Amino acid sequence: MLALVTASALFLRWLPHHGLPILLLFGVSAGAALAIYLTQRRRYGAKSRGVSREHVDADITAVLWTAFTGIALGVLGIGVVLAG
Amino acid sequence: MTNSQQAPGDDAPPPRGKIAERLLPGGEEPDPRFTLANERTFLAWIRTSLALLAGGIAIEAFTSDLFLEPVRKGLAIVLLLLGMLLSAGAALRWLRVERSMRHKAPLPLPLIVPLLAGAGAVAAAVVLVFVLWR
Repeated sequence: MLALVTASALFLRWLPHHGLPILLLFGVSAGAALAIYLTQRRRYGAKSRGVSREHVDADITAVLWTAFTGIALGVLGIGVVLAG
Repeated sequence: MTNSQQAPGDDAPPPRGKIAERLLPGGEEPDPRFTLANERTFLAWIRTSLALLAGGIAIEAFTSDLFLEPVRKGLAIVLLLLGMLLSAGAALRWLRVERSMRHKAPLPLPLIVPLLAGAGAVAAAVVLVFVLWR
């Protein structure tokens, strides 16, 4: 989450150079950080209950969404660089 | 039923989702510590991916006095592509490791390590050539 917040700040820092399209990257990374923050408590609770039960389900949805966010940021970034 | 007895299913794990059933079929749940360690490793790769993505955006901006525009854009796109590949590779690695653990099979080779090392070396060599050439 902190890495996404840092990346969001970096994208915002280069707004004067890249223009408004960089706000798309900022939106995606800040949105992902917010989604992680809002679901953190539920996921941590499930994992800690799982540890005490000696059974933790692999969180495949979170993994897929996180990987998709990285890929989406890459695609948008290439678009911003080519458009600039 | 006494206080010490629990209703059936009180301590039972919740049922797996459809995506989990499809992508992680068969086998049995590994030790929870291994599942959590696998997720931590995935997140470490995602952090590296985010650094490459942010770096790709930044390098196109702050090297405007150093390189010509096509070189700048090329470098930025290489970094962004690497970041994307790393995100996808990290998810694939997580999936392969989780499947191996479920089936008590040997862990797969970490292919993204040589990929990242090779691509990073090539990008650094290209930058060095251009810096020396100027």
